Amino acid sequence: MFDLSIWLYAGIILAILGSIATVIGPGVKDPIVRTFNTEVASIGVSLILLTYNHMLALMTLVATSVVIVLILLRAISRLEEMGSDA
Amino acid sequence: MIVVPEFVPAIFASWYVPAIYAGIIIAFIGLIGIAIQKRDIHILILTDIVGLAMLIFVAAVGTDLAEALILPGLVVELAEILAISEILISREMRKSNKQSSLLPLPMVLDMEIMTTAPNFLVLVLLAFGAFLTGFTGGAVAGGGILLYIISRKSRGLPIAEIEGIGGVSGIAWCLWIIGFVLFFIAPDLWLLSLFMAACGLVLKVASKIGLIGAMIREEYNRE
Repeated sequence: MFDLSIWLYAGIILAILGSIATVIGPGVKDPIVRTFNTEVASIGVSLILLTYNHMLALMTLVATSVVIVLILLRAISRLEEMGSDA
Repeated sequence: MIVVPEFVPAIFASWYVPAIYAGIIIAFIGLIGIAIQKRDIHILILTDIVGLAMLIFVAAVGTDLAEALILPGLVVELAEILAISEILISREMRKSNKQSSLLPLPMVLDMEIMTTAPNFLVLVLLAFGAFLTGFTGGAVAGGGILLYIISRKSRGLPIAEIEGIGGVSGIAWCLWIIGFVLFFIAPDLWLLSLFMAACGLVLKVASKIGLIGAMIREEYNRE
């Protein structure tokens, strides 16, 4: 049987690595790559919520992170359609 | 000194300090990223990371209170990102005088279900939403209204205009508040006040999701 703390520390490490990858990771000049890197941190936070037994919060996090990625991709492609560099 | 209530498991209490440190580190990384970025869309994406750090802070409490606080936090973060992305897009539209398509996805809405049985499906969804009541029922019934509007639009039929959705929303608020107050001044009437609050909430949420449909319809009309 594993020690339960393994999951908490795995979640923390994934969240920190994901946030570093979002800020200075490879290829983050492209906003789409940056959006996908936030998902790594989001998986880390999901593991942390799982260790704390927050089931409803975990399900809501999964649902909202999918919706947030959709909103961000829509904003990115609309901005690129207009040819802006904002 | 940290005061820990006795119903928090000891293992959660021992995880409190590492989780808080992780939250601080992630928030710091995210804020540094926001500070050195210049392009607005990148700042919007990095806001997501700071929101995740906030979640870790709240989750470290480890009780039901944490779970109850995470849910509104997530919904508010979602609404905030949606609003800021809309502001960014409309500012760019104004700056460059160019239009962009509303849904830049290769998606065509002429599925067969839109033309064969939308009315039946909408009736089922509305009836089930009214049966459920509360927040979930409102979401189901609102989904039904949304499906109705989209299916009428995709068949090119006119849509019955419903004026005064705002009025329905106000009445729903009143029902909800009266039900809530009744809980305290007349606890014997708990079933009545429960039903008043639940029906108020179902009207409120359904009319809000219906409003999303009305907004989409107006944007299509403008094109």
